[in-house]
Amino acid sequence: MTSTVQRGGARSMGASLLDQVLAETLDPAYAQAAARKVAAAKSSAVPTESDPAAATARTDRRRARVLVVLVMVIAGLLAAITYDQAAAGAQGRAQVREALLGDIHRETATAEGLTGQLDRLRRQVNRTRDQALRTTAVGQRALDQLAAAEQGAAAVPVTGPGLLVTLANAKPNADSDPVGGAAETDPNGLVRDGDLQLVVNALWAAGAEAVGINGQRLGPTSAIRFAGEAVLVDFNPVTNPYEVSAIGDPDTLRDNFLASPEVGALAVISESYGLRFEFAKEKDLALPAASPPELRSAAVVPGVPATDQEPGG
Amino acid sequence: MIPILGLAVGIILGLVFDPTVPLWLQPYLPIAVVAALDAVFGGFRARLDGIFDAKVFVISFVSNVVIAGLIVFLGDQLGVGAQLSTAVVVVLGIRIFGNAAAIRRHVFRA
Repeated sequence: MTSTVQRGGARSMGASLLDQVLAETLDPAYAQAAARKVAAAKSSAVPTESDPAAATARTDRRRARVLVVLVMVIAGLLAAITYDQAAAGAQGRAQVREALLGDIHRETATAEGLTGQLDRLRRQVNRTRDQALRTTAVGQRALDQLAAAEQGAAAVPVTGPGLLVTLANAKPNADSDPVGGAAETDPNGLVRDGDLQLVVNALWAAGAEAVGINGQRLGPTSAIRFAGEAVLVDFNPVTNPYEVSAIGDPDTLRDNFLASPEVGALAVISESYGLRFEFAKEKDLALPAASPPELRSAAVVPGVPATDQEPGG
Repeated sequence: MIPILGLAVGIILGLVFDPTVPLWLQPYLPIAVVAALDAVFGGFRARLDGIFDAKVFVISFVSNVVIAGLIVFLGDQLGVGAQLSTAVVVVLGIRIFGNAAAIRRHVFRA
């Protein structure tokens, strides 16, 4: 490759620019300096050793050599520092990641502990309440009503036969690009909140007495929502595969479920996008209690003396 | 030979002493290294071509590093820092490749 400069007049500016970049890989200043040196050597007489001009030229050359070495040292320093920075950056990122993971685990453990404490306290409150109510006839009636309401509000765990519907994301395509780390998944192959809502609603309509997703009981106010790529049930994330268990008479459940037009539509959709959509009759399904809704309003039970209402009593 | 030793000494010094670089300078380091590489390869090739000139080498090195940094700085200020970095790396990369090919032809005669 030569360092000749092509200055074609007819060429467009972009093409000549590219030509220049491709052809002129060596700084033309080197050629110019060499030409200057040749011209200077021609014009001046042959220098002798005793010539003072030759002596200054020699010291100049020595200084130039030192400068070159210095510049090379700087280049090496630059490269090493940059390498260090990059390595330290990667290490720092790993450390930060680990610290964040630790934080997540710790906070999750704390949250679990608090949930357990809440459950314990709630049970204690319920037990105390039951004891207090059982002493009077009015209280006993209220307790019976409460038990029925709790059944409806999914506040008590249930077991029984039922239907287990499984929805799962499509398997990643075999011919999808495996290079690049993060596998790009087709968003059409993911189960969406709407699909789960549809299945759950169809199960309720089919006569399910209790419904849960991945062991999370659905109460009357439970929401199935989508946040980013995760499906949230009552703000708790549930992950693929989604197992919707419905407790009720398996045969009627299955017949009504299959007769529902929405389920037929979902079956077609999952067929075309490769989603897994199955159901099975189960003899024994167990669902825990749903997280009870917050108490927002309370009223005095008529007929109960108001003396019981003292706080802390 | 001595310049190559200088390069090695610089690398070792940098790795051993691990100097800290001010934070505002850090984004420009990689691009400065690419620019420095370009100047070093150019100098090496000129040496093999027999037209090496110390003054040209030093000036090209310093100006390469400073201008590459300045372009990226300007790009950062204008919001096109990443694109301008790419442009600098592409141009310098082409030059490094060209010079490396010339060096290869000199060394291996192929």
